[in-house]
Amino acid sequence: MAEPPGTRSARRIIRVGAIARVEGEGALHLVVESGRVTDLRLEIYEPPRFFEAFARGRRADELPDLMARICGICPVAYQMSAVHALESAWGVPVHPGVRALRRLYYAGEWIESHLLHMTFLAAPDFLGLDDGIEIARIHRAEVERALALRKIGNRILILLGGRSVNPVGVRIGGFHRLPTGAELQALADDLRRARGEALALLRWFASLPVPSRPQDVELVALRHPQEYPMNEGRVVSSQGLDVAADAFEDVFEETQVEHSTALRCRLRARGRYLVGPLARVSLNADRLSPAAAAAREELAHRFERPDPASSVFARGIEVVQAIDAALEAIVRFEPPSPRDASPPVSPRAAVGRAATEAPRGTLFVAVETDAEGIVQRLRIVPPTSQNQGQIEEDLRALAPSVLGLSDDRARRACEAAIRDYDPCISCATHFLTLTVERRPPRCA
Amino acid sequence: MRVTVIGVGTRHGGDAAGLAVVTALEARALPRSVALVRCERPLPDLLEALAGADAAIVVDAARSDHAARGARRVAPAELADVATTSSHGFGVARALALAEALGRAPARVELVAIEGEGDADVEAAARIVVELLASLTAAEG
Repeated sequence: MAEPPGTRSARRIIRVGAIARVEGEGALHLVVESGRVTDLRLEIYEPPRFFEAFARGRRADELPDLMARICGICPVAYQMSAVHALESAWGVPVHPGVRALRRLYYAGEWIESHLLHMTFLAAPDFLGLDDGIEIARIHRAEVERALALRKIGNRILILLGGRSVNPVGVRIGGFHRLPTGAELQALADDLRRARGEALALLRWFASLPVPSRPQDVELVALRHPQEYPMNEGRVVSSQGLDVAADAFEDVFEETQVEHSTALRCRLRARGRYLVGPLARVSLNADRLSPAAAAAREELAHRFERPDPASSVFARGIEVVQAIDAALEAIVRFEPPSPRDASPPVSPRAAVGRAATEAPRGTLFVAVETDAEGIVQRLRIVPPTSQNQGQIEEDLRALAPSVLGLSDDRARRACEAAIRDYDPCISCATHFLTLTVERRPPRCA
Repeated sequence: MRVTVIGVGTRHGGDAAGLAVVTALEARALPRSVALVRCERPLPDLLEALAGADAAIVVDAARSDHAARGARRVAPAELADVATTSSHGFGVARALALAEALGRAPARVELVAIEGEGDADVEAAARIVVELLASLTAAEG
């Protein structure tokens, strides 16, 4: 017979099954005995691995379009890491105007992705509601504000990517089409208005009962000499790591665990670490725009120690940052010539490595081509695989506190903790099923 | 009455069926009050398209346990049993619910689901839309 929740001696198995879609299928398996976690497995299966095999034998100039198919929410990140790796391999110069447009393009993705997560995935956890639809009924103005901001991000993706789903505007060295001055000016006008709206939305989130779960974890992000990192920078950490991005294969290693077909990434020297908005905001606070820096200052108490639950604030700060970065890119934009926007490229037998900052964290890509420009090897290390170890550690620490909760509340608490990391599987975590098994302690 | 016919989908495989229906309808003589819109994403495209219309007809590729494949009308209550092919879980059902919650939904919303990607399925869906347009116009008269 099942024992009631809260029975300290009970062996309790919390199984969160079918964390499905996007980057693959996954599940959470948690066993707590006498208040101690005896087994915890976050099982994630990532389709991006298949893309590494799909790409082999194909022309490298197909990669920007192929990579955009990996994710419906962060296609820009995959495109950007891939083109930077190829440009590094083939020695392709990138015009400053192209660089500015890439920053604008990436900002659009951050705006879209962060607002989707904040409003529709995270906010229900803070408000004790089931989903974003309920929030829309109760907090209509805030949802309308978030949707209007997201629309700007969507416009940027369409402007530079040709379409918002699986965008196709990127090529090695540049873009297939340059935006007109009028298009950029109209966008700049909307971005100027958006900054105040983004700050107002962040203040609303700051008024919500967001929990706190500080913990010791090494933070890893890119760092650029002048800018808040998006497309380039060195890989740095809160524990002194500081290496060139193309050295990532020397510093990080991917390992396989029995319960998952997904590789998981760890620092060779120290193991688990955290990438993403919280790491970026913490390691690059001095690179934020004045408005984003002021917003972070107001929330300084949330960033005194690494706290995954504070990630929602980091995302809100980065929405402001992305708006300012987009504006700056437009204001400083000097149009390249058509040749500079679509430079001729000469394939060579080489290896290129690059890292950019996806909305969810650092995204590493290594690509090797032969002299004809055919892909021989492709390696993708997405942020979700890098954060898996930390997510498990977080859940391990959280588990004893959910033991006394009902099955539904225990499931919700575990899901909310996973969602703090905004894994690409997070949209599916709303559909998790949970089975709980309570047993008396096993005989020694 | 302003009626918006919204084809939902991406341009790949069976998911393009909703967009193909809009293309098929463009070749037909429709009342001037009818707007044809293509939506790649339920959020934000469908949400935007729903705003401002008195009635909307949403056409999307779908899959379900329904015995008969092809094109058919779907009641809003049936949506829970019909998995529309959309990314990241934010499909037509949730976009419609969000529009309703935000007060953006038209007074009347009709749904047409297509299970299949052949020309005959697209044609059948286009015929259903034309019949719906006729009944909406008649109801107004």
